[in-house]
Amino acid sequence: MHKTSASIAAGVICVLLLAACGGGGGSSKKASLKGSAGASTSAACQGAPVRGGNLVYERQAAAETLNPLQIINGNGDIFAYNQIYSGLVRSDPNGGSRLEPSLAQRWTVSPDGKTYTFTLRPNLKFSNGQPVTAEDVAWSLNNFGNPKVNANMASVAVGYDKATVLNPTTVQVKLKQPVAAFLYNISIWPAFILPKDLVEKQGSAFYKHPVGTGPFMVKEYVKGSHLTMVRNPYYWEKGKPYLDSIRYNFATDSNSRILALRSGAAQIMDGLPFSQIASIQANKNLRVQSAKVPLFMGLWLNHKNVKEFKDINVRRAIQYALNRQQMKQAIFHGLGQIPNSVLMGFDMDAGPNRVKPYPYDVAKAKQLMAASKYPKGFSVTLQYPSGYDFYTQMGLLLQQELDAIGIKVKLQETDPATGTSNFLAMKYDMTFPFASFTSDVTVPDEYADFVGNAANGLNGFFSGWKDPAINKEIDTFTTTLSNSERVKQWAKIQGDLLSQTPVVNVMNLPFVNAHSATTCGTAIDALGSDHLEDTWFAGGKGGAAATTAATETTTG
Amino acid sequence: MVRYLVHRLALAVVVLFGLLVATFFMIHLVPGDPVKIVLGVHATPTAVAHVRHELNLDRPLLTQFWLYMTHVLQGHFGYAFTIGAPVGEVLSQRFGATAALLTYAMVIALVVGIPLAIWAARRPNGVADNSIRLGTTFVFAMPAFWLGLMLALIFGLELKWFPVSGYETGIAGFFKTLTLPAITLGLPLATVVVRTLRSSLLSVMQSEYIEAARSRGLTERRVVGKHALRNSMMNTLTILSVNVGFLIGASIVVEQVFQIPGLGTLLLEAVEKRDYQLVQALALLAGTAVVLASLAADVIQAYLDPRVRLAQQ
Repeated sequence: MHKTSASIAAGVICVLLLAACGGGGGSSKKASLKGSAGASTSAACQGAPVRGGNLVYERQAAAETLNPLQIINGNGDIFAYNQIYSGLVRSDPNGGSRLEPSLAQRWTVSPDGKTYTFTLRPNLKFSNGQPVTAEDVAWSLNNFGNPKVNANMASVAVGYDKATVLNPTTVQVKLKQPVAAFLYNISIWPAFILPKDLVEKQGSAFYKHPVGTGPFMVKEYVKGSHLTMVRNPYYWEKGKPYLDSIRYNFATDSNSRILALRSGAAQIMDGLPFSQIASIQANKNLRVQSAKVPLFMGLWLNHKNVKEFKDINVRRAIQYALNRQQMKQAIFHGLGQIPNSVLMGFDMDAGPNRVKPYPYDVAKAKQLMAASKYPKGFSVTLQYPSGYDFYTQMGLLLQQELDAIGIKVKLQETDPATGTSNFLAMKYDMTFPFASFTSDVTVPDEYADFVGNAANGLNGFFSGWKDPAINKEIDTFTTTLSNSERVKQWAKIQGDLLSQTPVVNVMNLPFVNAHSATTCGTAIDALGSDHLEDTWFAGGKGGAAATTAATETTTG
Repeated sequence: MVRYLVHRLALAVVVLFGLLVATFFMIHLVPGDPVKIVLGVHATPTAVAHVRHELNLDRPLLTQFWLYMTHVLQGHFGYAFTIGAPVGEVLSQRFGATAALLTYAMVIALVVGIPLAIWAARRPNGVADNSIRLGTTFVFAMPAFWLGLMLALIFGLELKWFPVSGYETGIAGFFKTLTLPAITLGLPLATVVVRTLRSSLLSVMQSEYIEAARSRGLTERRVVGKHALRNSMMNTLTILSVNVGFLIGASIVVEQVFQIPGLGTLLLEAVEKRDYQLVQALALLAGTAVVLASLAADVIQAYLDPRVRLAQQ
């Protein structure tokens, strides 16, 4: 009796210890992904797409509302909108900043750039089978353009005047001024097309069981838990979507998401931590996918609070002092991209030959500091969001590297909400303001305006910096219609901004997802959004039935 | 007894009021503007001002507090604007999962803890006793998130007995999805049960009536089960009621690890986004649970043991 009890107790301890050893390890292999488009194709995905299957997707951010005009939870909401609704135009599903027709079959732009005429695809239907009318389109666009209705994203409706119905398949949009990014602005969620009659009749109840023109439609939505969607039989792309259903499981904890993927309960997860890439790559049943998106480690300098940042020599010295190659390897496991811009990387950006990135050159940085008004250096506080290992590591590296040129950095970890608030109130010296810092559109217009337009009330996007010459260049850029002209203008602006360094782009980052090897067609567009209408399972099978799939265990 | 009860209830109300004041001012004084967090950098100043006004955030803090108190007393807990639903509705959606989890964890704590305590107490300092004590120290020292992940790794990923995360309703869904989280929560609590019950049992086993029971020739099972255990359980129940607070705290972590859509994950989201009214309601709810549990323990003890209630007079 005694012996048994002792050995059971000892046995329990052993199991726990073993688990501790087994669980903590993981592969020590360095991660490397070839190219930024993400080496994710597996042999199983070579054939033609197969119809059927239920996909379970572990998602970091929850969908908190399905109302595209009242977004409250960033990507959590956006990725749900993108499955349920669609707009007149869309980003190329395979990445890049090219736009392509979606609900609109084609469009024309007047020579003054102020009138857009859209022709709708014939026989478009909402997911409940009712036809999409020109009235629905004009009404939805007018909501987009109304800052009272589209309060949360009013800035993307810049220059909008009104939409009118010309005939049952044609809608005309008038702008108050030429807006170069207009088509980009209406390619995203606030301009998605909704059924006017249903929304007006049902009010906020509509968004509990919304009707849209996206590839999927809502079957079950449990806030804080999951969102299950099934194939929209009226989706305009013939034969798509391939999947019968998709289920978004909301799982803020990255370990939970990884475990769900590894156990086979889920087939895709987003927000793979950089530190976990190697161990996922070591698993032959899983694939890591990285996609180039406008996401970056933006280090913001407060020109109002810190007089030293007004000195261009100091700002440039910071650029030269950063050992980005080391950061790329040590923190981002080789997945970061060294920037040649102060903003997030855009498709339109000029290459490193045209706009040269700052090399790592401590001697040059020291020279610049010596030439500045502050040769003896100074002290600043760096705020960064808590809960992200890569920010902590980045903080430590920056502290070390800036110390070498006489800038003493005090690290201050704040919870993301506090950090963002301090940023918006300009209560910081240096900060990484957002846990995830991205542009909403694939062209630079939004952020160029945010940072460089002194008239927008954003105070150089809360940096306190302004430059009338660059401001003028940006104004011209955002209202020029010719794309080739814009590319030339942008190269100049990109170079001027980099030379002035109002703020610092430390590193461009990809979106890193992981999925099972038999999950195919997982390309991500230039905004990081999945196009699950293109996704299919090799062999036609993925998870179990979507309603219970979160807890089933099937091998991927 | 009635006087004692009134006294205790009055104290409970004071404690809850204090909690309300503390959470209100703490969450409001922490930096972070909920409106800007939710609306983001794109919102027009007019839109921000409009929402601030709707939430009364443009009024002086004391006025906000007064408004909040009067609303709470009328049973209105406000609007969880980061979720877009009334607080009451949000809480009722999330309450079930947490209540089920906590109950299940409590049952596991008792089912695991009581037999181990008896086993250990039967031969103090024996091999079983020492192994159990070593084991409980070990389990108690493990952080909930780590224990949870380990269980998910072993029983979810390797053995595939349970899903690694998620939540389902229904009897089968309940056992399938809540077993691992309940073990994660219940095991540390079981160690508390083992330790208190073991020491109470040891002192009770040395009392004269146990001696008397043994001398009457009762079986050991009967002596322990019928006489010793009953007299030792009281302390354990008191300790357990004190641990309701610990349980609620740990459930936040466990819900996060296993992705259970309960009140714990809700609280985390609410704090992250500074959803003031939701945070306040959740703190009040958790506080009420703790206060009620300790009240219940006190009352039961007073009812069973006259010394407790007489001491108050």
